[in-house]
Amino acid sequence: MNGRRALAIAGLAALLLVGCAARLLVGHAGPDGALTFGLPSETIAPLRVGAIASAAAAGMCLGLSGLLLQALLRNPLAAPFILGLSAGAGLATTIAAWFSGAIAAIGLAWLANSLAGTVGALAVLAIVAALGRRSGVLDPLTLILAGTVISTICGALTLLVQSLMPPSTRGDSWTWFMGQVPEIPDWPLVWVAVALVALCAVVATRLGDELDAASTTDDEATSLGVSLGRLRIVLFTGAGALAAASVALCGPIAFVGFVAPHLARGLMGSRHGALAVASPLAGAAILVWADALRQGIDFGAGRLPIGVLTALLGGPVFLSIMRRSRVRTGGWSC
Amino acid sequence: MLTIREVSHFFGRRPALRRISCEVSSGQMVALVGRNGGGKTTLLRAVAGLTRPSEGRIEWRGIEMARISARVRARQVAYVAQNPGLSIDLSVREMVSLGAATRRREGGLDGLVQKVIEEIGLGALHDRPYHELSAGERQRCVVARALAQHEARGLLALDEPLSNLDPGETMRVVGILKARARDGALVVLAMHDLPLVDKVADQVLWLEGGELVANGTPASVFTPERLAQTFHCDFVRGPQGLSLGR
Repeated sequence: MNGRRALAIAGLAALLLVGCAARLLVGHAGPDGALTFGLPSETIAPLRVGAIASAAAAGMCLGLSGLLLQALLRNPLAAPFILGLSAGAGLATTIAAWFSGAIAAIGLAWLANSLAGTVGALAVLAIVAALGRRSGVLDPLTLILAGTVISTICGALTLLVQSLMPPSTRGDSWTWFMGQVPEIPDWPLVWVAVALVALCAVVATRLGDELDAASTTDDEATSLGVSLGRLRIVLFTGAGALAAASVALCGPIAFVGFVAPHLARGLMGSRHGALAVASPLAGAAILVWADALRQGIDFGAGRLPIGVLTALLGGPVFLSIMRRSRVRTGGWSC
Repeated sequence: MLTIREVSHFFGRRPALRRISCEVSSGQMVALVGRNGGGKTTLLRAVAGLTRPSEGRIEWRGIEMARISARVRARQVAYVAQNPGLSIDLSVREMVSLGAATRRREGGLDGLVQKVIEEIGLGALHDRPYHELSAGERQRCVVARALAQHEARGLLALDEPLSNLDPGETMRVVGILKARARDGALVVLAMHDLPLVDKVADQVLWLEGGELVANGTPASVFTPERLAQTFHCDFVRGPQGLSLGR
C-alpha cells in the first residue's frame, strides 16, 4: 500500500475516533433535556457507547455496501438506499417482525430480522438489476429510476404492513422510517454487523485487482482473467447482507452508502483493494459525526432524526456527482 | 498457431459466422477486414475466448480455447475492445497495471508497466485519470494494457485499435505491434483502413455476411474487382501499394 493510501486510511480512522469522542461527550441531560458537553455519568455513558457502536457498525455496513455496488454496477450513483436495497430490507424486516413473536420470546428477533432483511435486499437488487438493463447493458439512469420506484413501492408496502400489525408490535414506525440510532442496541446484531464488515472487507481486499478490472467492461474484465459471474455472486450477496444489517441496526439511512465511497476515493484514488478498508471507515465516521451533530439540532419536536440529516447533507452531494458523471460521459452511458 | 475449425455462431437464429475454417501462424500480423456487420468483432471475440462459438472449435497452441482456464488465457491472450469502458477512475498507470497483474508471478512488473507506457507515448500522462484522456489517448492506454498483459509469444486480439489515432500515433502503434509479431506473438486485428492493412499485414481474412470469402496475402486478397464490388469505390495499386482512387 502506498503512502497516500496509508495516510488516507489513518486520517479516516482519526476522523472516526474524534467523532466517537465527540458523541461520547455531547448529549442531553436533565428533566428538560438540555444539551450538555462533558464526560457522561455512569448511567448515561453506556447509552452513548451503545449509540456510537450502532452508528459506527451501520455506517461501516453502508460504506462497504455502497462501494461494492458502485464497483460491480459501474455506477458512481449506486448505493443501498438509492437502489432500494434499504427499503427492501426494511419491508422484509417489518414482515418478519409481524410474524416473529415466538422468535422474539427466545431473544432471536434480531437474527430473524437480519436474515429477512438480507433476503429483502437481495430480492430488490435482483429486480432492480433486471429492470435497469437496456439492450442487455446496465444503464446508470435506468438503474437509478428502477431503484427509486422499487424503493417507493417497498416503502408503501412497509407502511401497509405496519398499519395491519397490532399496535403492540407496530413500534414507532414513523421514527424508524427516518432512521434512528438506538442507544440500547441488540448487541449480538452489532457484533454480527462488525464481523460481516470484516469478512466482506477481507474478501473485497483480496479481490481488489478483480474489482478494478470489473470497472472496465465485461469483455475487458473477462479478457483480464476475471470470473465476473463468481465475483458478482460473492460481492452482491455481501452488499445485500451489509445493507440488511445496517437497516436492522438503524433503519433506512439515506446517502451514507453513497457518499462514503466517494469520500474515500477522493482521498486515496480508485484501487478497490484499499478502498475496501477506507470506505467502511468513511461510512462509520460520517454516521457517528452525523449522530453527534444532530444532538444539537432541535426544531422543537425533539432531536433531528439522523436519516433527515444525512439526506439533507448527502442529497446535494448526489446531485453534484450525478451532474459530473453526466458531463464526463457526455450522456448517461457509463 | 491458431486454428479455426468449422466455426459458426448464431445470435438467436441469426447467423453471425458461417463455417469458418483457417489456420494462422504465430509471428504474424493478421488483419480481419470486410464491411460493417460482416462478423469481424464476433470472430475476434471468439478468437480471444470471450464467446464460445455455437458450432466448431478454436484451438490455440493445439488446445481448444474454451478449455483453457480464464487465468491462463489472460496471460496468453489479450483483447482490446472496439468500445472500451469510458467512465473509469483509474489512472493510466493503474489501467496498464491491470494487464500486468495477470502475470503477477513473473515479478518486476512495475518496470514492465513503465516501459510499455513510455513505448506507447503516454509517459507524460501516467498519473492522469483514464476518463480525462482524449479518445486517442484512451485507445493507446488500452493497447498498452494489452501489451503489458500477454506473454512474449501470446495472442493479441485487437478490435479497430487505430480508429481514433492520428497518423503519427497510428504508425507508432503499428510499429509496436509489428515488433511484437517479429518477437513471436500472433497479432490479430480488425481494421477498416485497407491501404494501411495492405502495407502492414502479413495475412488478410476477409469476412462477408459471416463467411470467410478470402484468405491470403494483402496483394492476393485486395483485387480491384473485389474492392470495387464490396465498397463501391475505386482503389488503385501503385508502387506505394494500395490507395483510394479519385
